[in-house]
Amino acid sequence: MQNHKMLEIDNISFSYRERRILNGINFSVEKGEICGLLGPNGCGKTTLLKCINRVLHCKSGTIRVHGQDLSKLSRGQIAGMIAVVPQELNIVFSFTVIQMVLMGGTVRYGLYGTPCRKDYLDACEILEELRIEHLTDRCYNELSGGEKQVVLIARALFQRPEIVLLDEPTSHLDFKRQHIIMEMIKKISGEKGLTTLITLHDPNTAGRYCHRLIMLNRGCVCHKGSREKIFHVETLESIYEMKIRIEHTDTGSDYVIPHPDQEKNEKN
Amino acid sequence: MKRISPFIIITILLMAGIVFALTVGQYHINLLTLREILILKLSGKTPGDDLMTPAMVLWSVRLPRVLIALLAGAALSVGGVAFQGIMRNPLVAPSFIGVTHGAVFGASIAIIFFSKSAFSIETSAFIWAVSAVLMVYVVGGRGINTLTTLVIAGVIISSFFQAAGSFLKYIADPYEELPSIVFWMMGGLNNVQWIHVGRASVIILTGITVIYAFRWKLNLMALGDEDALSMGVNVKSARILFMLFSTLIVAASSSSCGIIMWVDLIVAHISRLIVGPDHNRLIPFAAILGAFFLLMTDTIVRSLPGGEIPVSIITSFIGAPLLGYLLMKQNKQWSEE
Repeated sequence: MQNHKMLEIDNISFSYRERRILNGINFSVEKGEICGLLGPNGCGKTTLLKCINRVLHCKSGTIRVHGQDLSKLSRGQIAGMIAVVPQELNIVFSFTVIQMVLMGGTVRYGLYGTPCRKDYLDACEILEELRIEHLTDRCYNELSGGEKQVVLIARALFQRPEIVLLDEPTSHLDFKRQHIIMEMIKKISGEKGLTTLITLHDPNTAGRYCHRLIMLNRGCVCHKGSREKIFHVETLESIYEMKIRIEHTDTGSDYVIPHPDQEKNEKN
Repeated sequence: MKRISPFIIITILLMAGIVFALTVGQYHINLLTLREILILKLSGKTPGDDLMTPAMVLWSVRLPRVLIALLAGAALSVGGVAFQGIMRNPLVAPSFIGVTHGAVFGASIAIIFFSKSAFSIETSAFIWAVSAVLMVYVVGGRGINTLTTLVIAGVIISSFFQAAGSFLKYIADPYEELPSIVFWMMGGLNNVQWIHVGRASVIILTGITVIYAFRWKLNLMALGDEDALSMGVNVKSARILFMLFSTLIVAASSSSCGIIMWVDLIVAHISRLIVGPDHNRLIPFAAILGAFFLLMTDTIVRSLPGGEIPVSIITSFIGAPLLGYLLMKQNKQWSEE
């Protein structure tokens, strides 16, 4: 039987000193799938992404990409397969947008290498694809939050990975930009066949753009599946520890909103 | 109108500076004589009686001094650029995190307890400068927030060696040993000989070449550890490599001409303002600007009418106010934003 599993997380655990952050996490993501990681603050979403990218080393368990154990691969080999879009990147030195994007191709330049003319043209092509070519020579630090996020996505694409990990890419953006960025992620993922694992705070955004959702709570996977499977009042109330109502619209989409009783309690 | 490349300007300035430094000083050599001596030397001929004295001044005193000024200036500046890159802090420099005070301690030990020969002083300074950085790495190179702990460890080790150096000054013989320690601490190129040029050039040119070879990795290190890791850089090995080679070149410079303050910090900072943060351009530019800066300051100190003063006094007089000005300018920009 052909194995379509691109990313397999097999029973991983992680602790910061004595404090257990992740506890026996198990799930897999299929090729081309957009998978959303949801859960309350401090449930271990970002730590899980860092473990997958091997910025943090798991205490136990295995992470496999294409069936290959990541712990047996070099830093360069991992970077060739997995790209990361951080939640926010503030840098001290004023690199330009094109320099930032070119850094994504580091593994292809070799040990002493620097980008060549072709790399520069390829990076420009990605900027054009994402419609930010006008930012090419602008200083990254001078950009708005939304523009910075698109530049980081461009850098991740220039890395030419098979898996993209996005850590709350919309957390600092206004309503319009949240929509633009998520549409962009969906489009790119579909066109390039990228496997995408994305952490999000908003269940509605996750439900709208992700093929599958994984709910984390207190370092464990408590629910996983499609939006239809996850969007149940009891499920969401147990995770977010608040009263929730699910609105059904004419278009067939379900929307999660706080229950009026919850709002009253908060006001009181 | 097309802007002239800053590389062309600084290279022309450096060339003019070298000619200027070779001709001026307590013994003036005019341009024609300089040309004549260089042609004779390069063609292997011995200068005539009329050119004997200027040839001796030029070949035995001035040329090695100019070459060491160029090498040390380039080494300090590239060391500053590399340290600022890996520490992601434009106000960090080798002289601020233990290298300089380690070298002073090493030199003082040799002056007080060993043979006082130039070789033993330089070797001891070199070994202790490298040891200081290794200690910084051992103390601060662990934990989650490695970068902050490294900078703190640098301050701790630097203060420790400063205290140990002060103790050695306290117990040093005030007539024989103390003046040597003080003079060495203030930095100077007046005792430079061809042997220094040979030794320093091998280490400094090798070190700069290695740092330049890995320049792209330094760009990623300047973004942050997590970013560099996720783009395929082995951060731990890269940090050790850059710290080791930066320390080697700075220690090689310190062991040849004592402690020269501010060059590493100020040249790296100014170079970044002129050519930007990409180390592909930054490293060569800082090397040329640093060479030019130290060459000019050394030419000033040896041409003063009242006699030579330690070069570190001039570099500090220029460096400190210049950095203060840049800081005020930057603060003004921030408050306007």
